[in-house]
Amino acid sequence: MAISRRALLAAPAAAAAASTHSWPAGVKVIDAHSHLAHHAHPRWAEDDRALIDAADRLGIAQLACSILPAERAATPDVFRQCNDWVADGMRRFPGRILGYAFVNPGFVREAAAEVRRCVEERGFIGVKLYNTYFADEPVLDPLAELCIELRVPLLHHAGHTSWLSPPQPRISDGGHLSALAARYPELMLICAHICGGGDWEWQIKALRRAPSVYLDLAGSVADEGVVEMAARILGADRLLFACDLSMTASVGRIRGAELPEADKRKILGQNFARILARRGTR
Amino acid sequence: MIDLNAYLGPFAFRHLRYATADGLLRLMDRAKIEQALVSSAAAITYRNAHAGNEEVAAETAKHRGRLLPCAVLNPAYAGWRDDLAICHEEFGMRAVRLYPRWHQYRLTDPECVALVQAAAARGWLITIPVRVEDRRQQSWLVDIPNVDYDEIAALLRRCPEAKFALLNGSGYTSSLLGRANNGLPPNYLIDIALLTAEMANEIGQLVRNLGEERVVFGTGIPFHYPEPAVVKLEILDVPAEVKRRIASGNARRLLGL
Repeated sequence: MAISRRALLAAPAAAAAASTHSWPAGVKVIDAHSHLAHHAHPRWAEDDRALIDAADRLGIAQLACSILPAERAATPDVFRQCNDWVADGMRRFPGRILGYAFVNPGFVREAAAEVRRCVEERGFIGVKLYNTYFADEPVLDPLAELCIELRVPLLHHAGHTSWLSPPQPRISDGGHLSALAARYPELMLICAHICGGGDWEWQIKALRRAPSVYLDLAGSVADEGVVEMAARILGADRLLFACDLSMTASVGRIRGAELPEADKRKILGQNFARILARRGTR
Repeated sequence: MIDLNAYLGPFAFRHLRYATADGLLRLMDRAKIEQALVSSAAAITYRNAHAGNEEVAAETAKHRGRLLPCAVLNPAYAGWRDDLAICHEEFGMRAVRLYPRWHQYRLTDPECVALVQAAAARGWLITIPVRVEDRRQQSWLVDIPNVDYDEIAALLRRCPEAKFALLNGSGYTSSLLGRANNGLPPNYLIDIALLTAEMANEIGQLVRNLGEERVVFGTGIPFHYPEPAVVKLEILDVPAEVKRRIASGNARRLLGL
């Protein structure tokens, strides 16, 4: 199912009307990092409905979603299945769900073909990568080049910890993403969930010299000052409102951040709308 | 609103922008929080935690109507009984925070049980922050796990006469602490700082499982923004009277305000 540019950029009236949350006037709020439920979960349909209900209550107009499998080094069959479910979610919640194509870059040809299928034929708006490889490993280069060609963003899982993270031995941090951005400065690269756990001060400082990298503000960590530090060091133009399912924490951080309303508008939706408007296919 | 989960003073591993009484009051005003139970953030890493109590007593002295000082006591350190008496009788404190992982003892150690019993005998509230920071962001100098829920449950059983507030935790509904009819004494409340009000809605589950009198407002300021907890309360799908109890009524009862 392809989505027209007009439908993509239109503000769903239902979300604004149902919201109990007040945002700066005139802003269309887009969650740049979310997930629909994996269909192996017996309550996946209810969970998806609960996500939309929460978005309604919090005044979030659209959610950019992927589905990740339990096995993160996914085979092509597995990542295609996940993306089929995302496409199904886009049909079930028209105008509310924007699709990220999740792929495993280790399957170079299959991953590229799947990204083309999702973006060119089904209206997906970007690519989501997890932790199978560090972001600066050469195996990612074909996907980076394809994202540039299709003019879609690449959202990369990230975090920095001083401790070894055995469950995620190849988690990327701001340094890895900066290295990829240095090779491909025209790539719309998004560093995932600054509040998703890890040393967020390190991450922000590591991204300072990578001006093409956006930072999504998602996560459950509610640490005071993170949004202001990101805005001060990176600039509000590089920040994206996102929740990664931690919706009240993410909404509360933006509400509490001591920033001008114009900067909040950029963060809440204008920056991501600008990314979406660059998409090469409609 | 009354915030059971607030702090003053510097923290060893991260700059806190609103660590003074004036700063904390600014955050509270912004979020419409009337009163907060505040303890020393520095005492988490001081060897002699009582030095933090002295700092908090002095910093809150001019703001006792809004900032309610709370002790940090370490049962594994010399002189905690003297410190408890000073905090109560000189500083007017009526609650204590325990940091068993940072101060390296177990909640069921005899000295900790003795401290809890002594504080309870004075009518104090015992608060236990399950964590200070997300473990994944801790400094390379420390590796401090969250307080174990089974260990907390064992203390609740050992001290049924004490009243507890559990702070900065989540995932209670997957443990004994958050289940209905769990056989534990109903001597503990849970703060909402890190719970969800959306999707899985752990706050709503705890209200159903434990009762509306067992859930309490808390933010974690100035470590945290206050607004996430405020938003949770705003969108929580419960009657207005239940929200009022969570926002302030339960804390008033606990602290005897």
